[in-house]
Amino acid sequence: MNKLPLGLALDLRNVVPYKTGSWRTLLPVNIMQTPPCSNACPAGNDIRGFLRTLAEKKDYEAAWHVLTRTNPLPATCGRVCPHPCEEGCNRRDFDTAVAINTAERAVGDYGLEENLEHKKLIASRKERVAVIGSGPAGLSCAFHLAKRGFHVKIYEAYGEPGGMMRYGIPSYRLPNYILRQELDNVLKLGIELECNVKVGVNIPMDQLVQTYDAVFVGIGAQKGLSIDITGDDAKNVFTGVDFLREVNSGKYVDVGKDVVVIGGGNTAMDCARVAKRLGANVSVVYRRTRIEMPAITAEIDEAMEERVMFRYHTNPVKIITDDDKVVGILSVQMELKEPDASGRARPVPIPGSESVIPADTVILATGQAVDYDGIEVQKRDGKWVAANENLMTSIDGIFAGGDAVLGLETVSAAVGQGTRAASAIEDYIEGNVESRLARPPVIYSRDLNTYYYQKKKRFEKEALPIHMRLKHFKEIYPPFDLEAIIDEAERCFSCGLCFNCGNCFMYCPDNAVKISPKTGLYEFDLDFCKGCGLCAKECPCHYIQMSLER
Amino acid sequence: MMEQSKYLEGVEKKDLFAHGHRACGGCGQALAARLVHDAAGENTIACVATGCLEVFSSPYPDPAWRIPFLHSLFENPAAVASGVEAAYKALGKGPVNIIAQGGDGSTADIGFQCISGMFERGHNVLYVCYDNEAYMNTGVQRSSFTPYGARTTTTPTGNKTRKKNLPMIAADHGIPYVATATVDDFRDVQKKVKKALAIEGPKYIHILAPCPLGWGHPGELTVEVCRLAKDTGLFPVFEIVNGKVTNVRRIPVKLPVEEYLKVQGRFKHLFKKGVPTEEVAVIQEIANQNIERFNL
Amino acid sequence: MLKQIEGSHAVARVVSECRPNVISAYPITPQTHIVEELATIVGNGELEAEFVNVESEFSAASVVLGASAAGARAYTATTSQGLLLMSEVIYCIAGMRLPIVLTCANRAISAPLSIWNDQQDSMAVRDAGWIQLHAEDNQEAADLHIQAFKIAEKTFLPTMVCMDGFILTHAFEPVDIPEQKEVDDFLPPFKPKHIVDPRWPRGIGLFADPRFYMETRYILHRALEKSEETIKEVSSEFAKVFGRDSGGFIKTYKLKEADVAIVSMGSVVGTIKDMIDQLEEEGKKVGLLQICCYRPFPRHEVHKALEDKMNIVVLEKCISLGRGGILASDVRWSFPRAEKKDRNISSFVAGLGGRNISVDDLRYMVEKVEKEPAEFEFLGLKKELIAERDM
Ligand SMILES: Cc1cc2nc3c(=O)[nH]c(=O)nc-3n(C[C@H](O)[C@H](O)[C@H](O)COP(=O)(O)OP(=O)(O)OC[C@H]3O[C@@H](n4cnc5c(N)ncnc54)[C@H](O)[C@@H]3O)c2cc1C
Ligand SMILES: Cc1ncc(C[n+]2csc(CCOP(=O)(O)OP(=O)(O)O)c2C)c(N)n1
Ligand code: SF4
Ligand code: SF4
Ligand code: SF4
Ligand code: SF4
Ligand SMILES: [Mg+2]
Repeated sequence: MNKLPLGLALDLRNVVPYKTGSWRTLLPVNIMQTPPCSNACPAGNDIRGFLRTLAEKKDYEAAWHVLTRTNPLPATCGRVCPHPCEEGCNRRDFDTAVAINTAERAVGDYGLEENLEHKKLIASRKERVAVIGSGPAGLSCAFHLAKRGFHVKIYEAYGEPGGMMRYGIPSYRLPNYILRQELDNVLKLGIELECNVKVGVNIPMDQLVQTYDAVFVGIGAQKGLSIDITGDDAKNVFTGVDFLREVNSGKYVDVGKDVVVIGGGNTAMDCARVAKRLGANVSVVYRRTRIEMPAITAEIDEAMEERVMFRYHTNPVKIITDDDKVVGILSVQMELKEPDASGRARPVPIPGSESVIPADTVILATGQAVDYDGIEVQKRDGKWVAANENLMTSIDGIFAGGDAVLGLETVSAAVGQGTRAASAIEDYIEGNVESRLARPPVIYSRDLNTYYYQKKKRFEKEALPIHMRLKHFKEIYPPFDLEAIIDEAERCFSCGLCFNCGNCFMYCPDNAVKISPKTGLYEFDLDFCKGCGLCAKECPCHYIQMSLER
Repeated sequence: MMEQSKYLEGVEKKDLFAHGHRACGGCGQALAARLVHDAAGENTIACVATGCLEVFSSPYPDPAWRIPFLHSLFENPAAVASGVEAAYKALGKGPVNIIAQGGDGSTADIGFQCISGMFERGHNVLYVCYDNEAYMNTGVQRSSFTPYGARTTTTPTGNKTRKKNLPMIAADHGIPYVATATVDDFRDVQKKVKKALAIEGPKYIHILAPCPLGWGHPGELTVEVCRLAKDTGLFPVFEIVNGKVTNVRRIPVKLPVEEYLKVQGRFKHLFKKGVPTEEVAVIQEIANQNIERFNL
Repeated sequence: MLKQIEGSHAVARVVSECRPNVISAYPITPQTHIVEELATIVGNGELEAEFVNVESEFSAASVVLGASAAGARAYTATTSQGLLLMSEVIYCIAGMRLPIVLTCANRAISAPLSIWNDQQDSMAVRDAGWIQLHAEDNQEAADLHIQAFKIAEKTFLPTMVCMDGFILTHAFEPVDIPEQKEVDDFLPPFKPKHIVDPRWPRGIGLFADPRFYMETRYILHRALEKSEETIKEVSSEFAKVFGRDSGGFIKTYKLKEADVAIVSMGSVVGTIKDMIDQLEEEGKKVGLLQICCYRPFPRHEVHKALEDKMNIVVLEKCISLGRGGILASDVRWSFPRAEKKDRNISSFVAGLGGRNISVDDLRYMVEKVEKEPAEFEFLGLKKELIAERDM
């Protein structure tokens, strides 16, 4: 033992601190959780990750790489995704959701502008996988497999890849050159693409099954369904899908002066707005009201802004033709009665309420179906491809995903399924049982300490004025200011993961939060932590939780 | 190496008041002491009164201090600091930051005279009061900073007097800088310490430093309780620069005093089966007066 | 240079020549003239020092504590109530081993209020760990201050110079005030060992739990005991340089041949010496043992000097109420346990609250103990003022 110094005046330079860690009954631990945005994102994007990268590093390139770990199509999804992530965003309980979708587009566009390239995780391996269909499901599956070194070949029935992104979604929402660039970038991973080959028609499915180690079926729901109505065989009567494919293929379609679109989904909205751009007066005829319309709200709003007429409670009875040419539609007014099996109010015609709507073109945007021509798999509900949770169909080694499996869904849902299928295919080929990790629990806003966040206005993208929009098929949302997007990204709470706010570091009364010399991250110094819980309480994003001492 | 968090720009973390002290978990005073001395930096001499801080931080042979530490008694840090300052002047040494400090009992009661003398003589010393609103070290007895209604071991039915307003009394000594602060706002605490130390002459900073033990709240609530104290108007945060009250912290959303009272055991008796007694109304009135007086 | 000067001013002069860096004091009779004079000396620039006008003795002591802990040579002066008010700090200063010098202008303690001399005040803090030196006259008071700084700074023990209030502080006597250069040569600049300085961070005044406290007390006790050497050494060095016998541990007067030995301290020894001379003329052999240093107590010196004395009387201006003479018990304790049973040590308390001690009083005392030893007695008590009912 050291001799007592004169006057007990101790040299403070060599003090061996007294360890207080043994006082602890609770232990602070860092627990990463799933933010609700990612939980809601069908593509499983690391939203928190790319937003925080923007916010902290102001680095678009790094953000692009974070985003494209899951999603090969950020520029596309950033335009067309109905962004359920924002519905889930914890910030909604505080002020407004983070403009995730807008930020995603900004990052995607940056990647295209800067020609950023995807990186392979594994250079090459011998196994080969065939992908049928180059829609988002097929592309995503091919992308993830190619990154992991598989030889992938995509077979596409149409002349150009992209599926509904190419032939369904109009270019004022998703410019063709954006899609094309994003697709090319994916293909650069060494993916082979053969267009104008309809599997099951041009080459038999069996051939693929024999040649490849696995097959992914991402054929979507390409067939437009029309309702059974007299006059639907007249010229100038289209299904929604066919009409859009024509226009998106660059063909001129003469729609005349008056166009009637039947249906209330996204296809109906796109048809109406495309027809508007072709110079017609457009009415959307729908049996119920706006509330029941399945289309994305923003799409309906934009259609209304563009002065598409909406006729609710209206049902077509027959298409009136003159000399095999449409002249109008006989319709009847409906009233809503008790809900039907779908849970929506049941429309019933009001007797004697018939009237005629003039029409030069009628578009039946009333549904789509899978085109099973030459492809034989087990079905679900008689309509959709049946697949198990690993997305394998009834046939061993054949996987499926996207609209064909889910029914009419979204681009991001298709991307998500492609991603999942790729993992499942890898497991299948490698003979793994199940390699997907369980997701950490979701963190909700009640767990956050929102004191540390400031209220801040959300970035709202601005559309071109209406009169400018209707003149052409140019994109209605011009590019965003990159700085403003970084500001927006700073609104992200970083739910469930440290964002280096420093609170734990500053608040710990025992200086037991240190910067780890190894990782550079905050860590607990358990020799001194007394387990008071202050750090956990004041961690804005709930990355610290108190647990029982082991 | 992690870059310094951008959220901590201008914030100092040097651990000059280091780990290994024996304060209760979540002690607001331990936190305050570190914030103060990290802001002041290495070139600082701490003159500390007897009280929790001194007892939990200075046991031989493993004190938590890494800067010069001088303690002699409960009531005299201001006078001791005066002497240190006089010595520095006389010996032509320095400049050096001299921080005299003590709990509310030391500051408001037993050491009040020494502080008044230090202020009046104009020593270049910063006095910091860690206000935990009672004599904690001796087992939670009432001090003249104990708020109305609070239960302590010597006010078992609740304190009947109002808190002494030392910041105003300090300012009336004509000293150039007075400030109040709370430990939840570490930026503010450190800004005020730095500002004070840059001013020649006596300075007074009064820091609300919750005591989980004496106040009867879990240690994890130490920061939250401060916010409630501010947002109810019970603890006004402001500066007095050359006699003028400035930089008053405005309350973003005013909260009823119940919000503050009900998280603390020392006010539990003010609610009978959850219903506030008339004392709560008195406390609300105190908050209202603060709000009006300081335009919170 | 010999000067007709008031005791307080003489002290102030020499203290100034000791070049303290920080002086802090609070007025209290009969100490006031010392600090007033020092304030003047600092005020007119003769001495470069910080003079801190505090709001109490408690602060005065705290200020010098802080100053000393920061490396300054620090000085204060007080008495009576002031010293008691300081007492908490007095203990600290010693425990922290800060070599502060304090003048105690001895005065009685309230209640009842009395501004007059006795030595109850310094006795009240005798156990605090300070060296206590007692001056016989103003020359010695002045000399002791020069020695005090040197002793304190060599031993890291605070040192109190006690001089009787009014009797010395306010008396005009010729005093030889040394030249500044002489003092400078005698007293080297203060070299502190343990100070608060950001360059070498130290913790001073740490908390000691039961594992350590006892040892700090033991060390302090031994340091005081061992300061004996320094005290003697400094005193004899002083004698060599200045040609005067001042300070030291004890002094004796006609003790060798004495049948009755009186033990006392402070200014009263002057009167005692006069009385001894008178009695000598009358053929009585009375001698004096003067305690110059009360703490550390010169136990061995006392023992040696009084070894062959069988009739000892201790006269003191203080009392341990409910117990008796304080110095008397110190003297009694100076003899080893296996003592001659027939040695008498009488105890007299006198001069409390400024009561005059006359030669007659002293004669009475000697005559009394010649007849039979007095266990304990108040000398010069006015019995007619005492109501039995109140005792
Ligand atoms: C008009 C319209 C607008 C839409 N708007 C949006 C929107 O704004 N946001 C959104 O998220 N979603 C929107 N969707 C839905 C979205 O486009 C689809 O959910 C998504 O494209 C489905 O992707 P998929 O890969 O499963 O199928 P698809 O995109 O349909 O792709 C299937 C591909 O497979 C090819 N194929 C089919 N059969 C064969 C075969 N036998 N051999 C070879 N190739 C074959 C097809 O040619 C096609 O390229 C819209 C859909 C439509 C129709
Ligand atoms: C002269 C004196 N009286 C009483 C005490 C006992 N004592 C030590 S600390 C303390 C209370 C301290 O209260 P405060 O200053 O508010 O500091 P806290 O412990 O609450 O931080 C008391 C009464 C003492 N040390 N000295
Ligand atoms: S705040 Fe950020 S991490 Fe949290 S849900 Fe919203 S986008 Fe996701
Ligand atoms: S408090 Fe801040 S720095 Fe600490 S873990 Fe939470 S987010 Fe990260
Ligand atoms: S604040 Fe510090 S002492 Fe408290 S639990 Fe966190 S790390 Fe441990
Ligand atoms: S009693 Fe209070 S002030 Fe003292 S150490 Fe505990 S929490 Fe801190
Ligand atoms: Mg207190």
